[in-house]
Amino acid sequence: MSTESEILHVGIDLGTSRSAISASNGERFVVDSFVGWPADMVARKVLKRDVLIGHEAVTNRTMLDLHRPLERGLLKEGSDKDVEAVRELLKHLLRLVGVANGKVDSANVRAVVGVPAAALRTNKQYLRNSMKGIVDSLMIVSEPFAVAYGLNALLHTMIIDIGAGTTDFCVMKGRYPNEEDQRTLTIAGDSVDTQLLKLIEERYPQANVTVFMVREWKEKYSFVGEPQKRVIVTAPVKGVPTEFDITNEMKTACETLLSPTVETMLDLLSRVEPEFQERVRNNIILSGGGGLIRNLPRTLEEALKQVGGGKVTHMQDPVFVGSDGGLALALDAPDSDWEKLTA
Amino acid sequence: MRVGHIDRVKRQLLRQAVADNLDTIRGLPPRALRPRQRLIRLFLRRAPLVIIPLILAGFVFISNTGVPVAAKTVASPLRPTALHDNPVHASVASMLTTDTLEPVSASAFPLSVHRVVLDAGHGGTDPGASSTSNVSEKEITLDIEQRLGALLRKNGFDVVVTRNDDRLIPLRERARIANGSASDIFVSIHVNSIPHPNNHGVETYYLGPTNDPKLTKLAAAENLTSGYALADLRKLLDRVYADVRRDESQRLATAVQLQLFSGLRGVDPGLENWGVRRAPFIVLVATEMPAILAEVGCLSNDREAEMLRSGTYREQIAQALFHGIHAYASANDAPQRKGT
Repeated sequence: MSTESEILHVGIDLGTSRSAISASNGERFVVDSFVGWPADMVARKVLKRDVLIGHEAVTNRTMLDLHRPLERGLLKEGSDKDVEAVRELLKHLLRLVGVANGKVDSANVRAVVGVPAAALRTNKQYLRNSMKGIVDSLMIVSEPFAVAYGLNALLHTMIIDIGAGTTDFCVMKGRYPNEEDQRTLTIAGDSVDTQLLKLIEERYPQANVTVFMVREWKEKYSFVGEPQKRVIVTAPVKGVPTEFDITNEMKTACETLLSPTVETMLDLLSRVEPEFQERVRNNIILSGGGGLIRNLPRTLEEALKQVGGGKVTHMQDPVFVGSDGGLALALDAPDSDWEKLTA
Repeated sequence: MRVGHIDRVKRQLLRQAVADNLDTIRGLPPRALRPRQRLIRLFLRRAPLVIIPLILAGFVFISNTGVPVAAKTVASPLRPTALHDNPVHASVASMLTTDTLEPVSASAFPLSVHRVVLDAGHGGTDPGASSTSNVSEKEITLDIEQRLGALLRKNGFDVVVTRNDDRLIPLRERARIANGSASDIFVSIHVNSIPHPNNHGVETYYLGPTNDPKLTKLAAAENLTSGYALADLRKLLDRVYADVRRDESQRLATAVQLQLFSGLRGVDPGLENWGVRRAPFIVLVATEMPAILAEVGCLSNDREAEMLRSGTYREQIAQALFHGIHAYASANDAPQRKGT
């Protein structure tokens, strides 16, 4: 077993759209969860690389066999390429914080990885298998739990983590959350992208739009309720850059999140012991990229009025909130526990 | 919270997180998913292994102490009435006349059906399939669920529903309602939509593996709001398939499909019988009682979509489902049911 001084603790938020890592050496990185291999010899010659990861992979996607190793927040199973993509993504994240770069040996890494609240045990086992040989010890926790832990929001708090693949809910009751305390919806950022693309294509059939463009627009301009200003975007029409007003489409697509989110939030609240419901209502934390949708916290507060009102806070910087929470868990876990959790 | 208190809570949370991970490493199911019912079911399955040798040993003991012996009973076909009056003697006698031990089938433990969970597919923001004339699956399934519920109640069954209005209930929540209701069977009602608009038919599913890519796609679509990827369930399914529940589910599916097709064929001569099939729908995986999913029609066929608009046809579907459930229940528990 390695000595404490050599050990690197990391928290990883393995996301469908983006994955973040926070390490005990102070390094923090976020990458797009895409892995691509050059599609043929020509592409290999042009790219001069065997594998591309993150934004680089997205940018060069036309030359790549592009894989997104996670689907709805869970690791895809089935093909060898998907297995390889997960491992490449994890190795890349660890390389970014210095592992196997000559600074830290992978045998000295203790990692906490956040997964969707409703991830099944089989998927967690699959993740463990995927991380064999990449880290020394591994702890897998639900993503909203990692967020809550990092924020010290451990009691009478509800975390709503709106990611790309899933929207995770978790009520913290001062204990490790069980099935009753957590929910996962697959209506999340990706479903907004799909809906937005469909609406834009319906209204502007002449526009040449891809899901990648739509995702960028959503990240810049998403809102629910009343628009602050018109959403004008540029997309090519027969190769000519043309401006389009997508304000209504953006509103409609983003608002598809509202009904299931409100319904699940109220349902989970109704299951909290009556004497604590008010405290939980006033401690709702919105994290994940979806938390940045303009007006979303206020709209959720409006919905809370039907059960007595409440307060919804959103994280200003949701990118690292999950991985920071994972890191906090990794640092707090005693050596004796890590020894039991060998990957 | 005070700092000291936070630290204490954190230590406790960490201990529980580590325990949860150790359970994963050992391949144990989550603690919350280890209810007493599973233990009871396991006990019921294993009980014959213990009870039968005990009875045999007891019987041998009795025979050695001069009480009327089994050998006599078996040898004497003149006393069948006395033999069957005593269930212990009956079971022992039947065992002694059997040359080899056979696996105990589910029918060895007839299950009374008193409470039925009805699950109207989709709802709220999830409309399910839609017809070209804009009839949605969620509306039809809810109406049929309510009609079927009324029929079942009228005939002495208790009924639990997973939804009674137009709202989205996540699939895991439906399973939770079913599992928490101490119900005997679970019937999920759905309406199909297929790429061939000229075809239409009825089919009933129970839980099982499938190699049919179309069924995998259908299951993936129906499982969409569950939060699980289909692939994630594979290992879990391997364990479930071996369950005695599968045999009961198959019997229920067969009874329902038979009544669905024969009941509706009369009013819709073009209706096709797509039979009883196996597929890994989440509601069938996660429920703990015999469970089926009935696709009671096909919205992609314009003619049938028009029929599905009418209350009369929906009532006929509810009647057919009822007859199927009743036939299954009667086979298990005929004397206790009021009958139709």
